[in-house]
Amino acid sequence: MRNYKHTWLLGTILSLAIIIIPILIALPRNAQPIDDPFSKLPKIAIHVDHSALMQGPFNTGQEVTQACLVCHPDASEQVMHTSHYTWESDSVYSPDHKRMVTLGKKNAINNFCISIESNWPACTACHVGYGWEDESYDFSHKENVDCLVCHDHSGGYKKSKKGNPAKGVDLLAAARSVGAPTRENCGGCHFDGGGGNAVKHGDLDGSLKFPSERIDVHMGRYDFSCTTCHRTEDHNIRGKASSVSIGDLNTQNQVQCIDCHNQEPHRDARLNEHTEAVACQTCHVALMARKDATKIHWDWSTAGQDLPQDAHQYLKIKGSFVYKKNHRPDYAWYNGTTGRYLKGDIIDPTQVTPFNKPNGNIKDPKAKIWPFKIHYGKQIYDKTNNYFLLPKTVGAGGYWTEFDWDQALRLGAENSGLPYSGEYDFAETSFYWTTSHMITPKDEALQCIDCHSDVGRLDWQMLGYDGDPVTHGSRFLSGGER
Amino acid sequence: MIFSKRLTSSLLMLIMLFVKTSLAGTPVLHPQFPLLDESGKNVLFSGQPLSTMQTCGTCHDTQFIVSHSRHSDAGLSSMNNFSPSASDYPWDRGSGYYGQWNPLNYRFLSAPDDSLLDLSQGEWVQTLGFRHVGGGPAEYNQAGVRLDKSPVTESWDWQKSGVEEMNCFLCHTKAPDIEERNQALQNGNFRWANSATLIQSGAVIKERTGYRWNPEAFTAKGDVRRDFLSPTDPSNENCGQCHGLVFTAKDTPEGLKSCDWNTATTGEIIAPQRINRSGLNLKDKENLHRSWDIHTERAVQCVDCHPSANNPIYYQDSKKHRLDHLIFDARRIDVMDFLYRPSHEFARGGLPDSNEQRSPGETMRSCDGCHDANVGHNWLPYKDAHFAKVSCESCHIPRMHAPAYQQIDWTVLTKSQTAAHDCRGAEGDPRDVTTIINGFEPILLPSRNADNETRLKPFNMISSWYWVYGDTPRPVRLADLKKAYFKGNNYREDVVAVFDVDGNGEISEAELRIDSPEKEQAIRQNLETVGLTQVKIEGNVEAYKINHAVTGGEWATRECASCHSEDSRIGAPFELATFLPGGIVPGFTGAIDLGQIGTMEVDARTGLSYTMDLSTQGLYVFGETSIVWVDWLGFALMLATIIGVVVHATYRVISARRNGYKEHQTKRIYMYRFYERLWHWVQVMAIFLLLITGFIIHKPEMLGILSFPFMVQVHNALGFILFANAFLAVIYHLVSGEIKQYIPQPRGFFDQAVAQANFYLKGIFRGEEHPFEKSRAKKLNPLQQMTYFGLLNLLLPMQIITGLLIWSIQTWPSISNALGGLRVLGPIHTLLAWLFATFILLHVYLTTTGHKPMDGIKAMINGWDEVEDHSGRKSTGIETESKEKLK
Repeated sequence: MRNYKHTWLLGTILSLAIIIIPILIALPRNAQPIDDPFSKLPKIAIHVDHSALMQGPFNTGQEVTQACLVCHPDASEQVMHTSHYTWESDSVYSPDHKRMVTLGKKNAINNFCISIESNWPACTACHVGYGWEDESYDFSHKENVDCLVCHDHSGGYKKSKKGNPAKGVDLLAAARSVGAPTRENCGGCHFDGGGGNAVKHGDLDGSLKFPSERIDVHMGRYDFSCTTCHRTEDHNIRGKASSVSIGDLNTQNQVQCIDCHNQEPHRDARLNEHTEAVACQTCHVALMARKDATKIHWDWSTAGQDLPQDAHQYLKIKGSFVYKKNHRPDYAWYNGTTGRYLKGDIIDPTQVTPFNKPNGNIKDPKAKIWPFKIHYGKQIYDKTNNYFLLPKTVGAGGYWTEFDWDQALRLGAENSGLPYSGEYDFAETSFYWTTSHMITPKDEALQCIDCHSDVGRLDWQMLGYDGDPVTHGSRFLSGGER
Repeated sequence: MIFSKRLTSSLLMLIMLFVKTSLAGTPVLHPQFPLLDESGKNVLFSGQPLSTMQTCGTCHDTQFIVSHSRHSDAGLSSMNNFSPSASDYPWDRGSGYYGQWNPLNYRFLSAPDDSLLDLSQGEWVQTLGFRHVGGGPAEYNQAGVRLDKSPVTESWDWQKSGVEEMNCFLCHTKAPDIEERNQALQNGNFRWANSATLIQSGAVIKERTGYRWNPEAFTAKGDVRRDFLSPTDPSNENCGQCHGLVFTAKDTPEGLKSCDWNTATTGEIIAPQRINRSGLNLKDKENLHRSWDIHTERAVQCVDCHPSANNPIYYQDSKKHRLDHLIFDARRIDVMDFLYRPSHEFARGGLPDSNEQRSPGETMRSCDGCHDANVGHNWLPYKDAHFAKVSCESCHIPRMHAPAYQQIDWTVLTKSQTAAHDCRGAEGDPRDVTTIINGFEPILLPSRNADNETRLKPFNMISSWYWVYGDTPRPVRLADLKKAYFKGNNYREDVVAVFDVDGNGEISEAELRIDSPEKEQAIRQNLETVGLTQVKIEGNVEAYKINHAVTGGEWATRECASCHSEDSRIGAPFELATFLPGGIVPGFTGAIDLGQIGTMEVDARTGLSYTMDLSTQGLYVFGETSIVWVDWLGFALMLATIIGVVVHATYRVISARRNGYKEHQTKRIYMYRFYERLWHWVQVMAIFLLLITGFIIHKPEMLGILSFPFMVQVHNALGFILFANAFLAVIYHLVSGEIKQYIPQPRGFFDQAVAQANFYLKGIFRGEEHPFEKSRAKKLNPLQQMTYFGLLNLLLPMQIITGLLIWSIQTWPSISNALGGLRVLGPIHTLLAWLFATFILLHVYLTTTGHKPMDGIKAMINGWDEVEDHSGRKSTGIETESKEKLK
C-alpha cells in the first residue's frame, strides 16, 4: 500500500503544476518599465553622530581639521587633489591654442568679477581651504583643508576673507554637527556664485534650499541632495562646469541624466526619437531662474558713478546689470567641449568675444541641442594690446575702493604678469552656462509646438536645418550627415 | 537721467539680441498683388470695396471655387429640389446652414412670400452671416441671379446693401478682422464686409463716414504690401472663427467663455495648451496636465485632416473606390494646377447632426488613416473585438473638460431676451468665473461610418423646447416671443404676475420655466393675442458627435471597469433635461435614429434622461450585460440543491444517531488508477477556478479588487486546460475501455435506477447496504451513469464549445456572429456555468454517501476505496444480473 500523505502531496503539486504552468505561459507579459532610476542612486550611509567625538575647544579652523584627521587621516590628502582645493584642472589639450592648458578658477577669466588674480582674499572666501591670501599660497598644508564648509550641519558656519572662518562662528558646534554634505553646504558657494544669490547660474540659487517640486523635481519631490547626482568618491565630487574648464562632457568625471535614466526614457516613440539630437535639459528645463532672477548682463563700463545703488540694477563698484526671472534659455549645438578664452588671447574689440562658446554643429554626430544661459558682459581690455585686462578690484589701491581704473589695472598687471599698456576701453563678451539643474516635473516639459510651430523657440535655420524638421526632416536629411 | 539712459541702452542691446534670431524668416511663395474692385480697377485708385472674385481671380479660378464650395453655397443651390419631409424639421427650407433651422440659432428663414416674416434673405446675412463665408446666399438668389442685379424685393434693398462675395481673406490671412466684418454685415453694408475683414491688417481704415484704403499699405505700383497682407494657408484660428473654440497660446491662461456658442454643442476645445494652464475654473485642475487636444499639441492643423479634396499631397481615394492592388496612385495633380483650381471641398467626416452632411461624405482620413491601432494596444485583451465595436474616440475622448449645452429652453426668454440655456459639466452658471467646471463624460452611441461599419462613438445630447403655431406648425418668431414676454426692456406685468412664484417682484432663474398650466396658459394667451393660432410647446433631442479634443494613451480610458462593470458607461442613462417645459416629452431628430436605439425616461424628480439599449446593437458587454432570468434561474437551482443537501445530510446524521452505526462487511480495493485521479483533480481545480474567474468577469463589482483583464486571460487559459484535460481523458477512456463504465446498459437500467434512488431516499437513513457493489469494473451506480452521461455529453461539451466561440471572437468573429454573437453565447455560457456549480455541490455531497463519509474522497486521493463486500449477500436478482453482465 502506498503512503497516503505522499500521494496527497504529489497529486496536489502535479495538478497545480498542470494548471498553473500553462496559465503562466499563456499570460501576456506586462511591459517592462522603461527604467528604474531609483535603483541607480548611490546608497548613502547614515552618518555617525559626532557630537560626543569632537571635544574642542577650537580656536581656528585648522584645529578642527586636525581633530578630523585623527580619525580620517586620508581626508585632507584626498581633498587636496580635487579641483575644489587646487582650483585648477589636469592639463588638457586646447585645440584653439594648440597646446596643453591647465585651467581652473585659479587662472581663468570670466565676464563677472573677471579674475581672482590680485583679488585673492575676497574670492578665496569660497576656497575649501584656509588662508589663501596671495599667489604665494602653499597648497601643501593638510590642516589648511576646510572640512566644515562641506560637512557643517549646524548652519552656523560661515567663511570670510582668505577662506578663514568668519568672526563669531562657533567652531565647536559646527564640528560636532558634521554630516554628509547637504544642499545648504554646496549652495553656500554655488548658489551665490558671482557674488550673490542667483547671479551666475540661472539654474542654481537659494530656491533650491527648500524647493517645491515645481522648482526642482529631484530635490523638491524626492529631496535629493547635490551629491545624490554629483557622486563622490574619496572626496572627488563628480561634475565639471564649462565655466572653468575647456569642458569634456564625455569624461567619467561628469554628471549626466543617463547616469540614472534610460537613454530612451519615454513611452512615446516620437519623444525618444528626439534624444538623438536634443539634450534632456532642452525640454525638461523650459525656463530658468523660476523663482530668483538671474543676471544676464553686466556692463562694467558704467561703474564708478554716484548713481542710485541697487544690487540688481546698478552698483558704483561694478556698473550696471540686467536680471531676469523665468528666463528662456538660448539654444545651441553642444558636443561637450567648448572654446576657451585664455588670459592674453587677442580679441577683436568690435565683436562680442565668447569666453567659452560651446563647440558642435548640426554635422557633428556627438552634438545635441542644449539650453544655455548666456551672460553678456562689457568689460575692460587693453586698447593697444587688444586683450582683456585683469584689474585689481579688492583691497588696497583696488578699484572698489579707489574707483581708479588706471591704478587698478597697473596693480592687476603686477600680479597677473599680463602687461598693461596704459590705454583701456570696454568690449563686449559672452559667457555660456549649461542649464542642467532645476529639472521640472514632466508635465511642465516643453511640448511639440514649443519648437515646432510658427512661434516656436528654436531658430531652425540658425541651427543649420533647412526648416522645421517636422516638415523638412531630421538633421540627417537637413544639413547634417547627408 | 544718465542712469536710465544706460539702462535703456543695455536693455535695447539685449532686445536686439533676442530679436535678431527671430528675423530669419521662411520664404514667402505668394507674390504681392493689387486689390481690385468689382470692375477690375485697383481699389487704391477707385476707392471702391474690393472684390475677391476679381482680386484673387487674377491667378486662381475663383469661379471654379465658388461653384462647388459648400462653405459658400450653404445649401442654397439645392433649395429648389428640397423636400422638407426628408429634413429634421418640417419648417426647414434647405439642407444647409442656409435654410435649415436649429434650436441653437432659433431664427427661422422665411419664404419670400411669408406673411409672418422672421428672416428674409438679407436679414439672414445680417443676423447669421457671421458664420458664413460669403458668396452663396449672401450673393445670389435661389434662381442663381446676383441679388444686386435682380429687381428690388420689398424685404431687402440689395442695391443699397450690396452683396458679399465669397470672402477668401477670412480663411487665408493671419488675422482677419471678424469683428469689423460682422459689424459691416450687421449694419447691412454687405458690399464692404470683405474689405472690412482687412482692417486689422492696416490696408483699409474705418472712418466715421465709411472705409478708406490706406495708401501706405500699397507699393508705388499699387500692390498691397506683403507686410500688410500676405495670404496664408488656413490656420486653426481661421477655422475656429466659425467651427469651434480654438486658441494657440500655450502658456497664457486663456480666459475662456465656457459654454459659449462656439464650443457649446460638444465642449470641444482645439488648443495645444495643457488643461491645467487654462483660465477655466476646473475641478482637480492641477492634475489635468493633458492638453486640450493632442493633435493640436503635436502641431497637426485642421487642414491636415480636412485637406482640400484635390490637394496633391493628401488626396486619397476612399476605401470604396480604391483598387485593391494599389496602395498609392502616383499620378497626382500638378502643383500649379492645384494652385489654379484648388478644390474647396474639404475632406470631412460624416456629421450625423446635420442633414447636409448625410450625402455620401466622409472623405476624411479617419484615425486609422494615420494611426495603426494594432501597434500599441497590446495591453488590451480582445483588441480586434474592441476595435470592431468601439471607435478610437470612445476611449481617446474620455471626458470633455469644458461644459456643453444640455437643455435649451426657448419657451421662455431670459432678461437678455434669449433662451434659457442649461449646460452640463458645470456646477452652476458656466459663464460665472467662480463656478466650478467639472466637465462631463460623453454618451456612447452607435455611429455608422462611410464604410458602413457601426461603432460606439462619444456624443453630447441636447434637448430643446420651443413654441410652435399654425396648422403646419413652425416656431414662433423671436419677435413675437419677445412681445409675449416683454414690454420694452422689462417683463410684462402679467408675465411677472404668473412667473413670480415667491412674490418678490422679480423672476428668478428657477421661476423662469414653464412648469405650471398657469404659466403655460399665460404665455399661450399672449402669443394668441399677437395673432398666432394653435400655439403649443414642442421639444426635440439631438445628438452631437464628438471627434476632437482627443488625448493620447496616457489619458485615454484604460480602466476596463468603465465599460465592464455594473456602472458601465455603455448603456448608462444620460441626463437630457432637469425639467420638461410644459411637461412635453420631446421627440428625436438628427441622423441617428435615437428613438430606435434607446429610450427616454421621464422622472419627476431628476427630469429627463436617455438610455441606449444594448440589445438593439447586438452588444454584449462582459461585466455589464446579463440576462436577469438566467442568473436567477441558475441561482435558484443552486439554492434548491443546497437546501436539498442540507436537509438530506441532517436527516442522515439524525437517523444514524437514532439507529446506531451498522457495520457492513467491507473490503479494500484499488479503485482509481493514478491517471484517473490526476485527471479528476486537474478537472476539479480547473472547473473551480473557471467558476470563480467566470463569476468575476460576469459580475466584476462583486469582487472588485481583482483585475478584470487578468481574470479574462486566466479564464481563457483555464478553459484550454480544461479542454485539453477532457480531451486526453476521452482518449484514455476510449483506449482503456473504461468508457464502458459511463454507458448505461439499457436492460434493467430503470429498475436499477429506482433501486438506487430508493437507497438515497430511504435505505441510507436506515444504514442499509448500498444496492450495488462498487468495484474496479463498476464504479458508477445507475444514477451516476445517468448524471455523467448528461454531464460529459451535454454540459461539458456545450460549455467548452460556447467558451471557445466566445474566445474566438477575437480571431474568427464571423463564426460566433453566425451563431448569434455574444448576445446568444453569453447567456448560454452563464446558464451552463450555474448548472456546473450546482452539479459540483451535489457531486461533492454524494461522495460522502459511500461506506464511510470520507471513503469516496480518500479513494480519489490515494486510489484505495473501502467498499461494501456483497459477496456473502443474498442475491437480489436485480444486482446479480448486472453483476454478471459487467463481469
